[in-house]
Amino acid sequence: MKKILFSLLVGVSLWGYGDGAIYWTPHGCDDGKATASKHGGHGKGESAMFALMNSEANASAYLILPDLSEQNLTFKRNTLMLPKPSMGGYYAIVAEGNTTNGVYSAIRYLSLQGRPAKVSPTLLTAISKSALEIIPDPLHREHDRYTASKSYHFLLHFQGKPLINTTVTFETHDTPAQTYTTDQTGAFSITLPNDFKNVKVGRSENKPSEFLLSTQHRDGERLYKSTLTMPYSLNPNDYWQSQTYGAGAIFIGFIGGLLVYRRTKKGAKNG
Amino acid sequence: MDKLLTLTALRRVVQLTAFVFFVYGAMIFTTFYTGDKLTQNLPALSCAYDQSGGDFCALIPLQHQMDHRVSTLFTQNAGAMEALMGTLITIGTVALLILILNKAFCGWLCPLGFFQETITMIGTKLGLTQLTSLSRETITKIRPIKWFIFLFLVLIFPLLTGIGFLGHEWGNPYCSICPSRIMTTAMTGDMSQVYISQANGGYFALSLIADLLFGLMIALALFVRQPFCRICPILPMQTLFKKIGLLRLVKNGSSSCESCGNCVKACPMDIYEIQDQAENRNITHSDCTLCGRCVEFCPHDGVMSFKYGPLTLYSSSKEGFKKRTKIDKWWKG
Repeated sequence: MKKILFSLLVGVSLWGYGDGAIYWTPHGCDDGKATASKHGGHGKGESAMFALMNSEANASAYLILPDLSEQNLTFKRNTLMLPKPSMGGYYAIVAEGNTTNGVYSAIRYLSLQGRPAKVSPTLLTAISKSALEIIPDPLHREHDRYTASKSYHFLLHFQGKPLINTTVTFETHDTPAQTYTTDQTGAFSITLPNDFKNVKVGRSENKPSEFLLSTQHRDGERLYKSTLTMPYSLNPNDYWQSQTYGAGAIFIGFIGGLLVYRRTKKGAKNG
Repeated sequence: MDKLLTLTALRRVVQLTAFVFFVYGAMIFTTFYTGDKLTQNLPALSCAYDQSGGDFCALIPLQHQMDHRVSTLFTQNAGAMEALMGTLITIGTVALLILILNKAFCGWLCPLGFFQETITMIGTKLGLTQLTSLSRETITKIRPIKWFIFLFLVLIFPLLTGIGFLGHEWGNPYCSICPSRIMTTAMTGDMSQVYISQANGGYFALSLIADLLFGLMIALALFVRQPFCRICPILPMQTLFKKIGLLRLVKNGSSSCESCGNCVKACPMDIYEIQDQAENRNITHSDCTLCGRCVEFCPHDGVMSFKYGPLTLYSSSKEGFKKRTKIDKWWKG
């Protein structure tokens, strides 16, 4: 029991956020990691278990596979274990819940390795997963990751159409909530914060953090709430990579080339 | 207009189009995701680090396969099919592409090749003295470097990394020093690839080499033709399949070729072997980029030609030589 509680506290990186909306967060317990390792396809140290935070009892979840087929998922309390990935590419975990006057949804994408599905991830993000949906435009590319200090674009759709002038809240474990407003095309951009603590040298030495985007929209009597959570990694250029030194080295290389030019020109003159 | 219509002019149009597609393709077409790329195995230096690219080169999957798949033959006793399938698919795709266009991927499509040629044009226009040809001695010394880079940086070091003999930084060491990574990303406004890493000695060395090499390449390209192409590991990879390429450089010098050496002077890769006597023979050399300059600058009718399968696409001629020489003089002022 102690172990479970400890795992919940340590493993769940976004805890108590989302202003009451449901959202996904990875569950870093040993079981989740062991299953991910056994399944294959997950990155090193990743978990196959996810927790749906703020969930209501009637929430249901399903997985959209890279070939766009769907697979129902079963909760054990508020957590679920992903099945062994049958193909490589982007997966979407979708949760939906209803109350008398509310519709809640939570979406998360993950990229797993395996035999390619030969279906464009563009189609996975394009298909409607919930009435109110925050859509990465685009998702980070395969083998890439969301990275701090870089900007990313998202779209907000309601019933498949862009939702304009609507507030979206962005928050991370270490950055207080910030709000963004969608433009006339339902788009908005965020720059992921460099808010990592106790950074060690080397990318693999630092665990990714989580960001949460949440929004709500009232349509008649019904209040729709939706979230998107994704991991993001620190940017080495903020820490152990120096761009100034890099530019300096290019300049030195360039000067070296010009010295070669001077030498060859002199050689040519001397016959 | 006809006066300007030469093989080189056509090549520049193709190069520019290819540059736009390979560097900015995802902005124009739906090719952002890896799964949407044209081949993911291009035998030309179009970089995977460029988030806006239309396709990327075969060297990055090759290095990753060596590191993560082929190495499992030694570390996990994986089956041969499981360990080698990815590499076989990459090599098979490259072979198919070489069959279609042979080494023209370098001379006609490579973004880094075009970049270097553009800098050379700038150097010419700036009035810098051009080093028209490198000596045979220098060329003999330079030629093995590309094989060393291909064998060690593309194949052996990544494999040793996967087995556990080397650190993670050697998993894709060629990409870590490739000038195309810096050039293509910078061309899209992304300067994140210009850096010196202080993560450890290996990362530091590789990032330092990359930046120095990039600066050196730009300066050299101002007065030497295609400096990086001479050590590019794409050439050895293409060489493995050049015999099956339908497009080829053929020389039929039995009657008219006087070994004037114009072809060698025209060759941006300084391939001295082109001027050797040959009778209706495929002379596509390992270093050849099939740019066609040797055909343009050959003053003899039908001695040098571009052939595609049984078809002759373009042949040398007195008229063509005169026209090309005139344009060259005009361009160089």
